[in-house]
Amino acid sequence: MEERLYDLIFICRPDTPEADIDKIIATLEHAATEKGGKIDSVNKWGRKRMAYRVQKLREGYFVYMVVRSSHGEVVKELERRLKVADAVIKYLTVRLDEELKRQDKLKRHRERRAARRPRKTAPPAPAMPGAEQAAAPTA
Amino acid sequence: MAEENAQQQSYGGGGGGPRPSGLGGGPGGRPGGPAKRGKRNFVRKKKVCRFCVDKADFIDYKKAEILAPFIQERGKILPRRMTGTCARHQRWLTVAIKRAQNIALLPFAAEL
Repeated sequence: MEERLYDLIFICRPDTPEADIDKIIATLEHAATEKGGKIDSVNKWGRKRMAYRVQKLREGYFVYMVVRSSHGEVVKELERRLKVADAVIKYLTVRLDEELKRQDKLKRHRERRAARRPRKTAPPAPAMPGAEQAAAPTA
Repeated sequence: MAEENAQQQSYGGGGGGPRPSGLGGGPGGRPGGPAKRGKRNFVRKKKVCRFCVDKADFIDYKKAEILAPFIQERGKILPRRMTGTCARHQRWLTVAIKRAQNIALLPFAAEL
């Protein structure tokens, strides 16, 4: 099976000490590698206000990571661990690779079109930074 | 009584008379339309899809601040006719908003 890319966001209780959050991240990394996956990046967004109350809490500590894996067991295991962890109040996994593929396709398509019909009024250059920006946080 | 009836009848008959003039002169008739349109003539600003302007290939659900203008106060997703978003981007937008709602970046509904 080809490799898949996932976004994984989880929210901890705001009163969780930083060390505990690091511990959760470490266990997740360990679990991922054990199952043959990999955590590409971890980005702590820190304490943020949530849009609605979760378990009577208004704030949460957000952690965002990108997971790479070639079979679903990795995500399953990570989600299981997040469910078990007491500090974690919410999590979300989103599969990304198909969207990235689509994004790539559209980008290539536009480049090809721009190359075929060079226009004076609309140079293809300004189109690209926006697309790259959209790709940046996920890559 | 008979006279009144006769008068009414005559008026009724006369009513047929003014009607052609009404059509021509235009108190609301179709030919009067163009003259009246001046009143109603307001320029509707052409709405352009914001994502097309930015040439977005991807709408990131993690950026709640770019999704926020597309939801109502109450948390509903705004329809395309309000925002001018194109069909394709609206499709992506709804998915992004729903994901953001799931991870508490955007509200499902406004809290009391």
